Amino acid sequence: MSESFIHTENLCFSYTDSEGKKESPALKGISVDIKKGEYVAVLGHNGSGKSTFAKLLNLILEPTEGRLVIDGVDLTAQELTDELILQLRRKVGMVFQNPDNQLVATIVEEDVAFGPENLGIPQNEIRIRVDEALASVGMSEYATHEPHRLSGGQKQRIAIAGVIAMMPQCIVFDESTAMLDPSGRREVLDAIRMLNRDFGITVLNITHYMNEAALADRVLVINDGTLLLDGTPDEIFAQQALLKKVGLEVPQCAELIYALRKAGVRIEGEALSTPEGCAEMILRAYRNKGGLSHE
Amino acid sequence: MSKITLDHVSYVYSKGTPYEQKALDDVSLSIRDHCITGIIGHTGSGKSTMMQLLNGLAAPTSGKVLLDGYDVNTTFEDLFAQWKSLPKYENLSKSAAKKAIKKDIKDFRRRLCFRVGLVMQYPEYQLFEETVYKDIAFGPQNMGLSEEEIRERVMEAAAFSGVEPEWMEKSPFDLSGGQKRRVALAGVIAMRPEVLVLDEPGAGLDPRGRNSIFEKIVHYQKTTGSTVLIVSHSMEDMARLCDDVVVLYRAKIVKQGSGREVFSHADELSKIGLDIPQITRLLQMLKEKGMPISDDIYTVDEAVAALKQIL
Repeated sequence: MSESFIHTENLCFSYTDSEGKKESPALKGISVDIKKGEYVAVLGHNGSGKSTFAKLLNLILEPTEGRLVIDGVDLTAQELTDELILQLRRKVGMVFQNPDNQLVATIVEEDVAFGPENLGIPQNEIRIRVDEALASVGMSEYATHEPHRLSGGQKQRIAIAGVIAMMPQCIVFDESTAMLDPSGRREVLDAIRMLNRDFGITVLNITHYMNEAALADRVLVINDGTLLLDGTPDEIFAQQALLKKVGLEVPQCAELIYALRKAGVRIEGEALSTPEGCAEMILRAYRNKGGLSHE
Repeated sequence: MSKITLDHVSYVYSKGTPYEQKALDDVSLSIRDHCITGIIGHTGSGKSTMMQLLNGLAAPTSGKVLLDGYDVNTTFEDLFAQWKSLPKYENLSKSAAKKAIKKDIKDFRRRLCFRVGLVMQYPEYQLFEETVYKDIAFGPQNMGLSEEEIRERVMEAAAFSGVEPEWMEKSPFDLSGGQKRRVALAGVIAMRPEVLVLDEPGAGLDPRGRNSIFEKIVHYQKTTGSTVLIVSHSMEDMARLCDDVVVLYRAKIVKQGSGREVFSHADELSKIGLDIPQITRLLQMLKEKGMPISDDIYTVDEAVAALKQIL
């Protein structure tokens, strides 16, 4: 039985304005449990609080209220020392949106080594970690290249390697594919899947893309600072009207199923999140109507 | 004649250095007037370079960029070398012609920025004024319009782009990403460009924000009859919105035609790192499984209409 890696209770956060006054809360009480090894997508419109939620998990922002327990350590019950924050950041890595803002060195392998160096890892160990991290994202052959000459997808994979080299148990991707082209996005999503499946790393992918959310085991929908929906991609995309109301949508394949049902076509099943699932449902409906009877 | 034409255009970065790179390689293209043309291609295929050539932000290394048949990078030297054969200047004295040509070149370059409005990728990073109003007014101000006309244009562009009246006196930096994007769009719309060029207008926005920006772009095209170019990575949006689609790959045009024509080459697009709309992929699966249906379908509406017939 896998245990809870992230546990939040009534987690709240308010930004402070330039005069030191608290603004209206960005997060208004999120209670959620994320298990070790889960692949979770987080959806929400711009300003819904989803990025704030992500930043709390890494203590880039500190909760103003509620409980935050990560890997059994209650981060809201004690004074946040530098030591504690450092420990947490070893466990929870973060990859951001803009690949150009998170690369720091002039050579790829030095960039990947930056994190572990700051953790005080011995040199020979760093060498091993950097090589393994680059191999895990398929970027070994670029070890001595200059990061700024790589493509967007390659840069993001270097940023991911830099996080992997710190051997975290969990990685939070904060719209990490937003600036990439389709092939760059595929590269990064493949890397995410592999890290989750082969290394058991807990993944939170904060995204605007419904097709990306469909790849996760579980989807959280955050709206107006609260947790609106929590379920499998199929369960989430069964809520078309609600998603639309909060500025989101369903993947095209699910949209098609909805439109056909609305037009009076009988289609059974709930596999709404992938084209494969929707194709199966449509085929079944077609057979029920007497089509493809030779099969 | 097409309003926007590229004639054998090449663009080379860092020419003469070890990092020399061709961003565009002998590209010739006529954009259909009064239409929405989508430009697709992987990162580094030359899309953004092409966009910047259109309003003179960058000049081609070789070849010509033509607006209404006129080379937008015509220099003073080009014209002055032949002033005696140009009707506009032939009756002037040499010094008067020199002066007139200098002024005309300068005026043209200035007007070019207004005629071809460019909304760059992540335009919210280009906001710089103290207030939203001033930011939107920046273009019209530079066009030398009266205060009254500037105000009229700012208000019109703001309403059009979905900029709320209560933001006008706020600092643009206090707005959210999607709100800033609308202010940036308003700043370009306020110049009432004949050609509207947008580089990834939907990037980083949530679905509602993305749809709302695209609706406004389509509306602008319809109401003004202008010519619109959009760069985007979303094949779903391109299939839905564009009359024509141009595919760039490694600095060259590899496909060009209606969205339907271009997206029918799914295998080739996939080979060069692009996608086809998800709905098309779904229809392909159904066809492979033996359903009597065309996979020549690129939007959800088309798919619904086709499937309703047989289900």
